[in-house]
Amino acid sequence: MKVSLFITCLSDAIYPRVGEAMVRLLANYGVKVEFPTVQTCCGQPAFNSGYWDEARATAKTILEAFEDCDFVISPSGSCTGMIHHYPKLFENDAIMYEKAVKLQSKSYEFTQFLVQVLGVTDVGATFPHKVTYHPSCHGSRLLGVKDEPLALMSKVKGLEFVPLPFAEDCCGFGGTFAVKMSEISGAMVSEKSDHVKETEAEVLVGLDMACLMNIAGNLRYRNEPVRVMHLAELLYEGVKQA
Amino acid sequence: MSSGHGHSDGATVKERADLALNNDFLRKAVKFTTERLKGGKLKATEEHGNWEEWRERGKQIRLHTIAHLDYYLNLFVDNARANGVHVHFADTAEEAVHISLSIAERKQAKSVVKSKSMVTEELHLNHALESIGVEAVETDLGEYIIQLAGETPSHIIIPAIHKNRYQIADLLSEDAGEKLEPDTSILAGYVRRKLRAKFLEADIGMTGCNFAIAETGSMVLFENEGNARMVTTVPKTQITLMGMERIIPSWADLEVMATLLPRSATGQKLTVYMSGITGPRRSADADGPDEMHIIIVDNGRSLQLGDPEFQELLNCIRCGACLNACPVYRHIGGHAYGGTYSGPIGAVLTPSLQKNVAEWDDIANASSLCGACYEACPVKIPLHEMLIYLRRRKIESGHGDKVEAIGMKGFATVMSKSGRFKAALKLGKLGQKLVARNGEIRIKIGPLKGWNSVRVTPSLPKKSFRDQWGTMEAEIRNGLKEMDPDMKNRMEAIVKDRANGGGHGHG
Amino acid sequence: MADTHQDWLIEMEAESRSKQTKFINSISEKLRRPMVTEPPRHPFRGSPDFWNDYELNEEERIERFTTNFKSVGGHVQRLSTMEEVQRFIADKASELSAKYVIRQNQPELDELGLEGALPGAQVSVWNSDPEQHWKARAAEADIGVVIADYAAAYTGSITVLSSKDKGRSVSLLPTVLMAIIPVERLKTRLGEIMVHFDEGGRDSLPAGIHFISGPSRSADIENDLTIGVHGPGVVYALIVG
Repeated sequence: MKVSLFITCLSDAIYPRVGEAMVRLLANYGVKVEFPTVQTCCGQPAFNSGYWDEARATAKTILEAFEDCDFVISPSGSCTGMIHHYPKLFENDAIMYEKAVKLQSKSYEFTQFLVQVLGVTDVGATFPHKVTYHPSCHGSRLLGVKDEPLALMSKVKGLEFVPLPFAEDCCGFGGTFAVKMSEISGAMVSEKSDHVKETEAEVLVGLDMACLMNIAGNLRYRNEPVRVMHLAELLYEGVKQA
Repeated sequence: MSSGHGHSDGATVKERADLALNNDFLRKAVKFTTERLKGGKLKATEEHGNWEEWRERGKQIRLHTIAHLDYYLNLFVDNARANGVHVHFADTAEEAVHISLSIAERKQAKSVVKSKSMVTEELHLNHALESIGVEAVETDLGEYIIQLAGETPSHIIIPAIHKNRYQIADLLSEDAGEKLEPDTSILAGYVRRKLRAKFLEADIGMTGCNFAIAETGSMVLFENEGNARMVTTVPKTQITLMGMERIIPSWADLEVMATLLPRSATGQKLTVYMSGITGPRRSADADGPDEMHIIIVDNGRSLQLGDPEFQELLNCIRCGACLNACPVYRHIGGHAYGGTYSGPIGAVLTPSLQKNVAEWDDIANASSLCGACYEACPVKIPLHEMLIYLRRRKIESGHGDKVEAIGMKGFATVMSKSGRFKAALKLGKLGQKLVARNGEIRIKIGPLKGWNSVRVTPSLPKKSFRDQWGTMEAEIRNGLKEMDPDMKNRMEAIVKDRANGGGHGHG
Repeated sequence: MADTHQDWLIEMEAESRSKQTKFINSISEKLRRPMVTEPPRHPFRGSPDFWNDYELNEEERIERFTTNFKSVGGHVQRLSTMEEVQRFIADKASELSAKYVIRQNQPELDELGLEGALPGAQVSVWNSDPEQHWKARAAEADIGVVIADYAAAYTGSITVLSSKDKGRSVSLLPTVLMAIIPVERLKTRLGEIMVHFDEGGRDSLPAGIHFISGPSRSADIENDLTIGVHGPGVVYALIVG
């Protein structure tokens, strides 16, 4: 079984620790993750802004990178969700369309893979902190990743889970939206930070570094002492501690 | 009322939104109302149960009807005529206005009482009626208030969502010619008395249409106040303006719509009144209109027919659930959208109803594509995807922003080859030396201006994931554990199932 | 321009019919196929099967209707005979000092004998005199009395159908509405009522079919619930039998 990591350009460039947490956690289950280096970006920024030719140019690197593996895992619901748009993106190219459908059927967000494919909910972690969780829109709404992260957290020893009020509200990232409509985006992320603060959690976790970069950036700007991390990081740190 | 009135000033969605964001009352009022409606909807749908199956059924009924719209519209028209209704067709807003005014002139009407209708807002019909000396009175409480204020609705269900009781008391006091206290029951009581008189003296009652039942030629109205019943019961002439896509085949299908619409709109099991009007009054009846007209309006709707990316837009049942779910709407309110329809549905519908996409397209940018609208939609319209299609069409038609286009070209150049991406990262690490401090970037210039005005940006770490991979891989290979046979079997079964056409794909 | 209004309507109809052909043809063209003229197969007609099987027994229906109707500010009274209905209405009318009462012209309501039971009020019978202005009579009434054609427990709705003897105004214009629901007319689902309209077809339908689920309401001013904006602000559902 060949399992390949789709790191996403953001985690590759800014949050390599997330990818490391994923591959090291999976190694504990005998999953040897591959990393095809021809991959770059899923093309979402261009796709969502309407530049589909440009999106196709980058999407091709992803289709090429993962052509011969059995499972593709990614630390982002949004970038995995983008792969689900590939069939539409390549609807006028029969060969690429077929590849796109194939890739879609084997692509998993990280917790989806852990829970649904490997059947793991208890990774044996200990993490004695108060934690809240922001379900990113694309992962939860478009991929339907809702219960997996909660199941994983419920098995972490010492973890006190505090539900985030209005958790399902978008954090305001939205890719180029945060730049084009910066005032609206700013109002949205400020509201999200208010809700995080209300929980009095020490740690905010999520499944998408783009959203977390947005929220963390605002929390940091406001000097709120909340640690922001990907759930894979939390689990890996918890396993090391246990 | 002209199309420009009631909108916040500002030429673009961004400018209007920025103004709205500075209006504290507006933000709080919109937030409070949408939370209330959203909460009501959630409670009602959970209590009812099987919501996904109901949504799917609603979607299928709408898909079926629109796919056979020619058949069902013909059937509706034949039946409505047999019921004694005068049916008219209008390709454009101008034609619909022309027909409405001809009827009003023929009836020598002095006044028209109206119940809430988004189509008539689309046509700016009140203004047209007034231009020929016919008084047009909105009779829904919220609509009456915004009519007095000379504004347009900012929410499809709660039109005066943006006004507080003091503003409303001032408006109604001016109307009454006496001071009215800012107390809801006093204000509503005044409107009841005032409009009673208007109903009884009006020559024409004008309505919209929630659904039109093809098999019996009936038109159906959902409402809570009773004003739509007044409008269809008291005046001698009734004019109904109906979007050409309002059709459903049967009363059996109405049960599904009646299950979806009120729950999605306000969380009610049913609106206080649901009325099915089948023709004018029968000759022996002592109330109901003597004469009934239905004007079937296209006004850009047929542009969606046969367009695989947008045809589902015609499935919309105008419940407003997407507005209540939308975090952007909640922050900027309805007027910032600049069209008759606001929120996610407005962001897609407004440009889609106009042939001139370029003029309206910046609305499509006012979304973070979070998909809350799709999740809330009782007939599952993929609005979040349509927004992307609109953006793409703008680029394809050559109306894109030139600077952005250059940026995207650059993005594609870098990202289409991993070597270039790697080089760009290296360059970035060099470049950020000027601005990064302690792993953070705080400058507010260039592309980081908007972003960094409420955020801190992380800088690039020394080594990217791909830089670290070689060492990491060697370590992992050494410490790799044996895979549990059950796990292995599961993975193999999934791969096998996939080869047989299974898999876990989504739309 | 046409001489009489009737001529004008005929002109408009001719225009409409010629426009119809163009209008519908353009829809067929946009859908890229010839015009559909035969009824298409509609596999998703009406509610899902699991819902059509849903049924409450009589006691459950009464209870559900009552809960729903009360939750929106309506009043519900369970009464066993029409005599009790008469007494209830008479007591309420005197409690509210009703001066004008209007009722539908129905045999069950004739038998109720409200005229004798309400000495302090003038009781009018809808459309019983061609000289009267009946909408005005209903508008001035303190109480309107109707007998429901159907009711649906699941949504807490009363259904009234219009006719010569059953004015739409009677359930709409008075301040207070009293709706008598014979218990056998109380169904579980809306669909059990709507099926009659599909089965009876266009010819059988009255001009007005109204589902009423409580008193008139609005939340248009600062979300503050107001009762009785245009329709009756006080509604009694009297379940009999």
